[in-house]
Amino acid sequence: MSKTVQRSISGQKDSAASSIRITDDDLYRHSTQYRFWSFTPERLAQIRSDVNARVTTKTQLDMKVFLESHPNLTQDELAAIKVKAVPVSPHEELLLVNYFARMILSFAGKMNLPTEVAATAVSFFRKFFLSNSVMEFPPKEVFHTTLFFACKSENYFMGVESFAKKAKTSADAVLKHEFKLLESLNFTLMNHHPYKALHGFFLDIQNVLSGKVDMKYMGQVYTNCKKSISDALLTDAIYFYTPPQITLAILLTEDEALMMRYMQLKFNLNVDTSSANGQKEFKQEDPSAINAERLLEIIKSCQAVIEEKIIPAKDDAVKITAKIHYSQNPISVIDRLKRQREASSEAATPTPSESEVKRQKT
Amino acid sequence: MASSSQFKQLEKLGNGTYATVYKGLNKTTGVYVALKEVKLDSEEGTPSTAVREISLMKELKHENIVRLYDVIHTENKLTLVFEFMDNDLKKYMDSRMVGNTPYGFEMSLVKYFEWQLLQGVAFCHENRILHRDLKPQNLLINNKGQLKLGDFGLARAFGIPVNTFSSEVVTLWYRAPDVLMGSRTYSTSIDIWSCGCILAEMITGRPLFPGTNDEEQLKLIFETMGTPTERTWPEISTLPKYNPQLPQHLPQDLGALLQSQTREKIDSTLVDLLYGLLQPNPERRLSAKQALNHPWFAEYYQ
Repeated sequence: MSKTVQRSISGQKDSAASSIRITDDDLYRHSTQYRFWSFTPERLAQIRSDVNARVTTKTQLDMKVFLESHPNLTQDELAAIKVKAVPVSPHEELLLVNYFARMILSFAGKMNLPTEVAATAVSFFRKFFLSNSVMEFPPKEVFHTTLFFACKSENYFMGVESFAKKAKTSADAVLKHEFKLLESLNFTLMNHHPYKALHGFFLDIQNVLSGKVDMKYMGQVYTNCKKSISDALLTDAIYFYTPPQITLAILLTEDEALMMRYMQLKFNLNVDTSSANGQKEFKQEDPSAINAERLLEIIKSCQAVIEEKIIPAKDDAVKITAKIHYSQNPISVIDRLKRQREASSEAATPTPSESEVKRQKT
Repeated sequence: MASSSQFKQLEKLGNGTYATVYKGLNKTTGVYVALKEVKLDSEEGTPSTAVREISLMKELKHENIVRLYDVIHTENKLTLVFEFMDNDLKKYMDSRMVGNTPYGFEMSLVKYFEWQLLQGVAFCHENRILHRDLKPQNLLINNKGQLKLGDFGLARAFGIPVNTFSSEVVTLWYRAPDVLMGSRTYSTSIDIWSCGCILAEMITGRPLFPGTNDEEQLKLIFETMGTPTERTWPEISTLPKYNPQLPQHLPQDLGALLQSQTREKIDSTLVDLLYGLLQPNPERRLSAKQALNHPWFAEYYQ
């Protein structure tokens, strides 16, 4: 019996190899990540500005109603409202989203959640704000929801009670926007993060550059790149490039010489470093192979997007949050003005907006 | 997004792993659908099985995998709107019993169903997804003879290697011996074993290894396929639940065994395929792609 089987298995291997192979590229193009969540930079900017415009219009209408219902406001008060109670811009929305997205990473680290769970939570969070505005859903409220939901979708079981306890919040707060999140994600929950691609390239580099790289050093490269991938997840590179492209860009940043050597051997990248002006020329030798020159171009443009990363300061986040509060509650601008008047009449220093924000945060 | 008022709920079709399934009618299009209703547990929110099923089904668009059309949210339940299928393989096999005597299918139908089953499984595996619970109840069929994989409640995406599964998946009868012995590194081969069991069951109308517990399940497998040894399965002794005192059985002639239970002709090519799918050693089991390229399916790919 075992003889028959052996023959059958080896026979089948041959015929399977000769059949048409589906490449990972084809698979990726079928993924919802590619079909629903890949954009051109222009389209992405448009999406963000549309979301912002929708809520801005609504806020302005509300403001009109407020002003009509408060006809007795003083010139001072009207001026303060005009300055303070302004909807946030698309750029400010992005700053706030990125601020909290970064916090998800560090928070997940503190909770000892797996890297993939943290990455998925960041992805969910950022995508949520491609159809909702920070003026509708305070990022602070969605923060825990995305992290808990990422645990579910990444198959990392954790009860909501124990999650809420660790996160120092309530189960109700965690679940409050869960369906809204699911809906905003268009029910597409599968994420392909660059970590797997990194692992693949890591193994392949060792193979291709066998004997030419120090293993201990490679271990360090791997650890650094893993960290850089997490940072890259906070950039728009995830909407413009595929996970392997992002990975190669990060590897290139980590060790350019190593990567150029790898790409020469792997993709027949022709690097002519002898040119007097130091300019590199790329030639493609094997037409059936991956176009190495084009690949390097893509990787470098991806590298540039990753390097454009925005790291908003806490101060920015506080200011934007305050702005949202004032724009939606113009009466609080008046109240603040009144308090300031009273304070200055008592010759005290006016309180900075910080305390105001702290009050509304609780 | 669709709303629940768009569908008329008809008769109950059955219970899934975590939900109740009804037949439904799309009032706008007149198309029948399967409505899988998931109670929203106020304590945990959306059940993680539902989250996982939605996540996977959204990625899997294939003619041999049941389609998820939409997800509808109402106050306290979530409804997954699936493509409607007339029947499942289990009910269809039951319907062909004469009295208490099971009858297998005509060989051409066996082949057509197995081909479609392997196509669906191959697609899952290409997408790095394991079904993990393949059984006749989860294979949906329609009057056109199409077969589609359904119920991905236990399925999951896998990286390489997969090593954190509990062994509490896959209905016992279709569970691979490596899983039964506590292997934690199983992969696509787990679904292939199930495909082998289902193939034999379609031929005879009877489950191939109807065990009632883990030990009996292994005993039934080894009585027919032969007790594995270090020679046929080098890593077997490293498995957590490996029992070195297993009674030694010689492999039986699977072809003759099946032939005694059907009037259809069991040819040697079919037996060869069965052995390829039912290799106790997961390393030696065929992949779905290899199985589809097996000579038994020559009429489909030539």
